[in-house]
Amino acid sequence: MWWRRDKKAKAAEAESSARGVPRFLDPEVLARIGSLELLARAVVEGFIAGLHRSPFTGFSTEFTEYRQYHPGDDLRYLDWRLLGRTDRFFIKKYRADTNAQVTLLVDTSGSMRYAGAEGGVTKLQYAQFLAAALAHLAARQQDAVGLTAFGREVHTHVPALNRTGHMRTIYGRLSTLEAGGETRLAEALHLTADRLTRRGVVVLISDFYESPERLAGAFQHLRFRGHDVIAFHVLDPREVEFDFEDSLLLLEDSETAEQLPVLPAVVAGGYRQRVNAHVEALRRTCSANHVDYELVTTDRPLDFALFSFLSRRAGR
Amino acid sequence: MSFLNPFFLLGLAALAAPVLVHLVRRTRARQVEFPALYFVRQVPQRTIRRRTLRDLLLLALRCLALLLVVFAFTRPYFTSAGRAAEREGVRSTVIVLDASLSMRRAGLFEEAKRRVDALVGETAPDERVALLSFGEGYEVVSQFTTDRNALRAALAGVKVGFEATDYEQALRGAEALFRESKASGAKRVLVVSDFQATGWDAGRATFRLPSDVRLALIDVAAGRPESNAAVTNVEARGAVYGQKYTDKVAVHVANFADEERGPFTLDFQINEQTVEKREVRLAPREEKVVEFTDFNLGEGTNRCALRLRADDFAPDNDFYFTLRRESPAKALIIDGSARGGDSFYLQSALAAGGDLPFTFEVRGAGAVDPNALAAHTLVILNDAGLAPGPLSEGVERFVEAGGRLIIAAGPHTRSESFNRALGRVAPANLVEAVQLQRGETVAMTALKSSHPVFEVFNEGGRMPAARVYGYQRGEAREGASVLASFEDGSPALVEAGAGAGRVLMYNSTLGMAWSDLPLSPVYLPLVQQMVRYLGEREVSAWHRLGQAFVVEKGTEGQPPAVDTPSGARLKNVNEAKGGELLLTGREPGFYRLRYAAGYDFAAVNVEGREGDFAKLNEEEFLAAFTGGDPSASPAADARGRESGEEIEARQRAWWPLLLAALLLLAAESVLARRTKVVKTVGMKI
Repeated sequence: MWWRRDKKAKAAEAESSARGVPRFLDPEVLARIGSLELLARAVVEGFIAGLHRSPFTGFSTEFTEYRQYHPGDDLRYLDWRLLGRTDRFFIKKYRADTNAQVTLLVDTSGSMRYAGAEGGVTKLQYAQFLAAALAHLAARQQDAVGLTAFGREVHTHVPALNRTGHMRTIYGRLSTLEAGGETRLAEALHLTADRLTRRGVVVLISDFYESPERLAGAFQHLRFRGHDVIAFHVLDPREVEFDFEDSLLLLEDSETAEQLPVLPAVVAGGYRQRVNAHVEALRRTCSANHVDYELVTTDRPLDFALFSFLSRRAGR
Repeated sequence: MSFLNPFFLLGLAALAAPVLVHLVRRTRARQVEFPALYFVRQVPQRTIRRRTLRDLLLLALRCLALLLVVFAFTRPYFTSAGRAAEREGVRSTVIVLDASLSMRRAGLFEEAKRRVDALVGETAPDERVALLSFGEGYEVVSQFTTDRNALRAALAGVKVGFEATDYEQALRGAEALFRESKASGAKRVLVVSDFQATGWDAGRATFRLPSDVRLALIDVAAGRPESNAAVTNVEARGAVYGQKYTDKVAVHVANFADEERGPFTLDFQINEQTVEKREVRLAPREEKVVEFTDFNLGEGTNRCALRLRADDFAPDNDFYFTLRRESPAKALIIDGSARGGDSFYLQSALAAGGDLPFTFEVRGAGAVDPNALAAHTLVILNDAGLAPGPLSEGVERFVEAGGRLIIAAGPHTRSESFNRALGRVAPANLVEAVQLQRGETVAMTALKSSHPVFEVFNEGGRMPAARVYGYQRGEAREGASVLASFEDGSPALVEAGAGAGRVLMYNSTLGMAWSDLPLSPVYLPLVQQMVRYLGEREVSAWHRLGQAFVVEKGTEGQPPAVDTPSGARLKNVNEAKGGELLLTGREPGFYRLRYAAGYDFAAVNVEGREGDFAKLNEEEFLAAFTGGDPSASPAADARGRESGEEIEARQRAWWPLLLAALLLLAAESVLARRTKVVKTVGMKI
């Protein structure tokens, strides 16, 4: 429902404002920016500028010194101030010279085409914004950035490079991504694991309509190859809430075009239970395989995602 | 099933609304692309089905409740098949057919029979039907039967009569049929008639049909003209003893119309010969009396008729009556003188005309043969002073054998001797003779003015201009009737029956010895009335149709054979106690009485009021006989079937329908409350 989204957006905005994050990280605002490169720059620069004005002083500007706490980490490096501000556990790490390879893995299956609100930001758009911003952030740190996009199969692959003009290629390929086809997430991960010759950070941006069991194998494959994996689970708020007001709907599958008439009032409760269960299963799977997992909805600003990336980028 | 208010069925169209809405919304379900059908499909189908089923149940409850409300407003009722299943026993119907004189109007009775036939045809196959025809009385044409052919055959034999109308008798007859047949189940009476007001006296009606009997009226004369003029009555002395009829024949002619009628010609016929004509003009609703007098009669019974030449209902335009010219009987006056001189005034008064039924002879008591008394019809003992002996015994025998006796007890009558001589037949015992002082008189008082003896005077109190100087004080015997008294209360004129005879006793003189009565103007009419009263045979000039009258036996002692006015020989006649014939006239005209020695006639006429065709108030009629039962109405059963209103009022199916609808709506409310959407369970992000 619009007031709930607005409420969430406002809550996110309030949260962002509390941390001094500018509003231009709002996806709806970003959607108005035509150029991904420009968007990426604006997002990253704005994000970093906001960080300067944040109460989190003393940080390295790279902000790779923070990563999410995992059970077993040394509590001496727990940033208690950050905990007080965000209610989240972060371990402060010193900056390391990585020159890492960052591979952006973007899901372009048909389901990524979905936007719950008419005229709203689709999941793919959000993924594009996020991927662009992360690419810019990584490039800013002199990391090599690569891009792989997949749907039914891997259709876009830009090897990770760190050279002049390469980012333009990345932005260009990102901006031309279109959603379509079925989801073959696990296969794409396996393929990526096989393709990447150098260890690095794999950032997976998807709506994760895949069974956690199959993903577990793919994650294990990537981890076995020595990659750090960060999973951004992008969902539309409606996919989470299933807050349709219609008494009767004819739902059409984004990928298979299968149609299913439903009574939203009847289905909503059960649907939410299953989505929650799926998310929890994904969390557990990611946690078990040392994959950083973040669930983001397309109505939320990018700061959390960026923040999470930075903390991963800083390494363990 | 039928409906009292079928137009409410249009409300059923409202049932389509929720269904249409359901279908329209279903076909217009919004198509939405959704990526997570994977999870939607996992929601158990039974949840959807349960909700779907629950919604369908709600729809059904609402539709059914609406259906029941609509049906309740249409006020449904179940017709014959359902009624038969509900009730105990089958329905019994009595069809009452008016066969009175008024139904002889052109084509009316045939129409009534057609309606009865139609009613029979409309009855249920198991319905028991009886047929009853009526006029003043009723006749059961057919007992209860389910055989329609037998009913129709009986109906075909019903003929219209000449009787007047009596609806109360007819309904009593119908009620008796129900009672005798011990009918269970629904009962109804269908009256097929012209419903004329003269057939029902609302002021005297006391009978009411039982509450479980429905009454319906089928008027076959609606719209027919009601104008009619009739000869309704004739007043005449049935027997005369002279050639000229000096009394008046008073003819009553009535106009039953609301407009002026006439002029009509009224013909007076004697023995089919017109002797006089009068022209009659009648104002609206007027009854006029036309008199005829001073006409000659032949000997024996003269057949007289009044014929009104009116171009309307014919049966009441002719009025029949008989005038008998009889030979006077012999009467004997016995007085105390050897020459009969004491009876001068009496004899003069009796001989002074007046058409008396006797010829008189005067004899002294000593000159009378006791055995010759039987040759007379009337004996007058005019202060004869009879002592016990053969004559007195002869007088007693004469009276007891049926003779008539007038006793005048004057100064020659010794009380003790009188009592011994005529004690068996005299109406009073004499006590003593009372001779008043010179100049004193006593008058007769306490007259029974209603008695035929005094009808010519028709006044009570003192006998005018009669002075009595002496009288016999007496005591009336048990069973005697005192017709007048003297001022001291002593009976003056006493009457009693004795054996087959009758005696009038005057306790003073009919001569000048003890009163100046003979000089009084009342003397002549008084003595003539006394003689007429005892001696004149009561002869009716005519009889009303439907009333029984006695026809005397012939001289040979046998009752006569009777031919009806239409010429048929009357069979199955009834005999009265004394062997006379008891005849009930069923058709107007002259009944011919065939005796061995000759023939006589008896005139029978229809009831004059039957010619008044004005209609009764059907609402009042129904209310009077049904006690105001709302289920009885003139409009009901026009086709001989229980009306829809009656059936519905009895079944009252609407209220259980409404009650059921209320219960369904209550159930729908409870069920609808349980199908509210469950609140969203929020997800943590």
